[in-house]
Amino acid sequence: MAQVTFLEAIRQALFEEMERDPTVVLLGEDVGVYGGAFKVSAGLLERFGWERVIDTPISETAIIGAAVGMSYAGLRPVAEMQFIDFIACCFNQLTNFVAKSHYRWGAPVPMVVRGPSGGGVHGGPFHSANPEMYFVHTPGLKVIYPSTAYDAKGLLKSAIRDNNPVLFFEHKFLYRRIKEEIPAEDYTVPIGKAAVRREGRDLTIISYAAMMHTSLEAANLLSKEGIEAEVMDLRTLYPLDREAILASVRKTNKLLVVHEDTRTGGIAGEIAAIVCEEAFEDLDGPILRVTSLDTPVPYSPPLEERFLPNAEKVAAAARELARF
Amino acid sequence: MPVDVIMPQMGESIFEGTITKWLKKPGERVERDEPLFEISTDKVDAEIPAPSAGVLKEIKVGEGQTVPIQTVVGVIDTDGKTSAPAPAKTEPPKPAAVETTPAPPPASSRATAQAPVAATPAARVDGEKVRSSPLVRRLAKEHGIDLAQLCGSGAGGRISKKDILAAIETGGAAAPAATLPATGRAPTAPAAPAAASGVPGGQVHIALESAVPRQRMYFGHYEVQPMNVMRQRIAEHMLASKRVSPHVYSIDEADMTRIVEIRERTKAEFEKRHELKLTFMPFFIRACIEGLRAFPMVNSSVDGTNVVLHKEINIGMAVALDWGLIVPVIKNAEEKNFLGLQRSVTDLAERARNKKLKPDEVQESTFSITNPGVFGGLMGLPVISQPNVAILGLGTIQKRPVVINDAIAIRSMVYLTLSYDHRVVDGAIAHQFMHKVKTALENWNENVL
Amino acid sequence: MNVSLTRQQHLELYYYMKLNRMLEEQMERLFRQNKIVGGLYSSLGQEATSVGTAYALELRDWMAPMIRNIGALLVKGFKPRDIFTQHMARYTAPTLGKDGTSHFGDLKERHVVSPISMLGDLIPVMAGVAMAGRYLGQKIVAMTWIGDGGTSTGAFHEGMNLAAAQRAPFVCVVENNQWAYSTPVRFQVPLRDLADRAKAYGISSYIVDGNDVVAVYTTSKEAVERCRAGEGPILIEAKTMRMKGHAQHDPAEYVPQEMVEYWKARDPIIRYEQYLTEKKLWDPKTKAEIDARIERELQEEQEFAENSPLPPPELAEQGVFCEGCHTIEAQWERPIEEVMPPKSSVRPEWTVKNFGGIEVVEGRTPAPTVGLSGDGRKPPARAVGKKAKSGKTVGRSKVRR
Repeated sequence: MAQVTFLEAIRQALFEEMERDPTVVLLGEDVGVYGGAFKVSAGLLERFGWERVIDTPISETAIIGAAVGMSYAGLRPVAEMQFIDFIACCFNQLTNFVAKSHYRWGAPVPMVVRGPSGGGVHGGPFHSANPEMYFVHTPGLKVIYPSTAYDAKGLLKSAIRDNNPVLFFEHKFLYRRIKEEIPAEDYTVPIGKAAVRREGRDLTIISYAAMMHTSLEAANLLSKEGIEAEVMDLRTLYPLDREAILASVRKTNKLLVVHEDTRTGGIAGEIAAIVCEEAFEDLDGPILRVTSLDTPVPYSPPLEERFLPNAEKVAAAARELARF
Repeated sequence: MPVDVIMPQMGESIFEGTITKWLKKPGERVERDEPLFEISTDKVDAEIPAPSAGVLKEIKVGEGQTVPIQTVVGVIDTDGKTSAPAPAKTEPPKPAAVETTPAPPPASSRATAQAPVAATPAARVDGEKVRSSPLVRRLAKEHGIDLAQLCGSGAGGRISKKDILAAIETGGAAAPAATLPATGRAPTAPAAPAAASGVPGGQVHIALESAVPRQRMYFGHYEVQPMNVMRQRIAEHMLASKRVSPHVYSIDEADMTRIVEIRERTKAEFEKRHELKLTFMPFFIRACIEGLRAFPMVNSSVDGTNVVLHKEINIGMAVALDWGLIVPVIKNAEEKNFLGLQRSVTDLAERARNKKLKPDEVQESTFSITNPGVFGGLMGLPVISQPNVAILGLGTIQKRPVVINDAIAIRSMVYLTLSYDHRVVDGAIAHQFMHKVKTALENWNENVL
Repeated sequence: MNVSLTRQQHLELYYYMKLNRMLEEQMERLFRQNKIVGGLYSSLGQEATSVGTAYALELRDWMAPMIRNIGALLVKGFKPRDIFTQHMARYTAPTLGKDGTSHFGDLKERHVVSPISMLGDLIPVMAGVAMAGRYLGQKIVAMTWIGDGGTSTGAFHEGMNLAAAQRAPFVCVVENNQWAYSTPVRFQVPLRDLADRAKAYGISSYIVDGNDVVAVYTTSKEAVERCRAGEGPILIEAKTMRMKGHAQHDPAEYVPQEMVEYWKARDPIIRYEQYLTEKKLWDPKTKAEIDARIERELQEEQEFAENSPLPPPELAEQGVFCEGCHTIEAQWERPIEEVMPPKSSVRPEWTVKNFGGIEVVEGRTPAPTVGLSGDGRKPPARAVGKKAKSGKTVGRSKVRR
């Protein structure tokens, strides 16, 4: 087992899948010779050639559209958005062509759309997006947002092997900051299953991506004060692992949801509704959320810090909830 | 001036009632004591008379709704006659118009505080709602705990999961003294006895539980019949009684030949003179009274480590109903003569079947009698009706060959079974009591007419 | 390129066009009888374009029709019942009632991709199909249609650009039917000939009389074979006219009557009938037979559709995801080793042939111009300023072709 970064784990997944299955191709801007803006696809062109690692024009609509066509012809394309923020440019293709294809006329679209997302890197309003909820809201798309290197590799493999369109968000803050030992042999992580990162009994903190680590940090702070938080990593945003969420709420009876996405329309609202519907009588307190502000992502560091959640903000909310 | 109409307490163990029917509409006139509404409780269905004359101004609790006792269910606008001053709205609703409906005696109020929780959260002393949470309310309901009696350690005094779990574990309301109302319902009962180790001195709360996983009951063809309120409460009471009182049984038989003969001889005249059928029950009651006089321990209740010896003898008489079971009480039975007893027996049984019992007629028994023999069978082993410490079961009176003076005679015999609470009634007392009863029956010499 | 049709093929062209027209007439009747669910679109007057282009494809080729290409669907092997049931929202429709009109397809056998309502999106999708086909070693061509209005979309541009950059074997048929809903083409597109758009992508184009089915066919055949040979994408502009409104609800009163008369005289089916008669490719008896056959067929197909059930309500909840209902299989027509290491390995470096600057020609200082491309081509005739003899610059210029 080797220690690999989050980014390297993703690259390994692409590498191994392309090795394993000749129908897997990669297309996007600067993915070939340059190896990708973040070097996620470094080395792939060299190994698999011009036909399988395609440098496209700056045309998100065409990238996604071509990926659909390739899917119809029997390939498994992986389309990259150079920054996930640019997924807005192909919103029509994704929500109208891709998402509705199997439902409408029984044509599955086995493609993956992946790209670097999230903030905390002084990227400003157009390089820090968390657009997951537009697509969680669209029936027909699966949405994955891992937080560990192990999960990133396993989930990307599952996504590529899935017959359905999968959006795979890679939090750029984690790219090189987290390292983990991962197995050398082929493994996958199932889509649609959350993972309990830390067991606890006083409250449940549900989170994903970079905020999962923030939540763990907060849980450590709380532990010193005698509050033991259970921390759950969603990993997949659609389909949500309802059973895991409800089981944890039934165990601790208090719920705090943390996400870097903006507050209104973030997945915390959806989770709160589900918990109220199905486990109302297991709640010993209100459902709280710690999220980013309802603003575009600001650029200057003190502004971005104010915008984003952090361990202190999470711990404060958790304390409030624990004391309720 | 407005007079509150309240949900009465129909028995010691009754803490809520369901309004089944309003007999008057708002705006209609009602006389004092005229039936105003009908209720259903766990032990009795009853017509409740109006506390004063006037016009029914407002109905606060509608048909089908269940509310705790003492809840104001309606308001009567009296026609100017001064009645007792209406209770201040902020205090827990006191019994209104004292001179009319007998108010539930304050002595029972401490017991009422530990009620199985109604659907709505119990009101606090100062009228503020108890703060808890859905989880806490569910657990309280499942375990029959009154949230009003708990101290909350959550934010702002909220009852938290920790608090309810602790309460469940200790088996009752925690720290009741701290939350008792200061006025109006001051208990006249002595302070709770010091808890013996492991015995908190609180009431046992029973949740109806299954001995096997529920799904094992559902197989083949079946029909599910939800219990009505009375049946639920009977079920809970039986469970509680068995759990609290260690039941021991003493069986004896009495020669009823003499009484049978007296009855045969006098019943026609009795009926003509008093317009009342002559049954066996008054005989048995009289005999019990003698026994109870001689052995007052059998006429008591148990409060933790205190024995409450009752001075009156109030005989509870179990009456089987189509829809359940009820135990109306003949108060001060020791002061009634034979005729008075028979009258009470007949009257209570009839009114029980017609749902016309008054609230105070189903509480404050000190000893109970049940007659399973009337349905056949030699004898029964009844469950003690709490908070009594004994209950006498009567078998069928039937002719049997017995040995008298070394010869076989045919006599009318009856098996008597005493179920008694061995916490305070020992075998010696029980058997001696039974012997007294038997002797009284076998040597009846009172003129019944 | 020698493109000729047999007599049988000639008759087939007639059959498909006539079937197309009569089917649509029948649907209009059904619409007026309230038997059609939703809207109804007509391709009256454009049958030659649909049929002629699709007829040039082989079985293995892919196509993605638009709303006015029912003729192409029929050529590719769909039946009138498929069209009827789709419009009547029946359970026997290709989409089971999940979507209507021409929003259906068939990946495995007929290789037809369903359109969506947003225009232009089929262009990049079919470019992707073409790229994938080439990757798998299949010698396929992907074809789709787009209207004059649809070429205004970003998706059209991005798709064409990608197809051209990738030299994908892709034929785009631009059906210039003069109207995009109520907007005449001159307000939609600042070009007289939409084929000129091809210049923007550096690809070849054709302009063809869209109402002459033989011309359409031969042009398309030539284009398809050039594509197949690897020449890159080709754009065909078929000039035709939308003879009815945008849809049933649109009476198209904004179309000048003279324009309608002009194109009525050029009706594709009437023209072709005359052609067949002139060329003695048929006789009245054959015509009658074909017409009768069409009528019978349509009658049967309509009955089938009308007797078909509506879908069960539970169907609404099903099918959002593929949970094992399909197996994705690629048809490889080349050795897989070619695309796997070690054969697939390359040196990840660019070979740049032209460095893209402004070339200085001996003896002449180039005037500041716009539109001068780096490979030395003559600047187009719209120079902004000419070298002044008198020191004055001549500023204005006109663009005329």
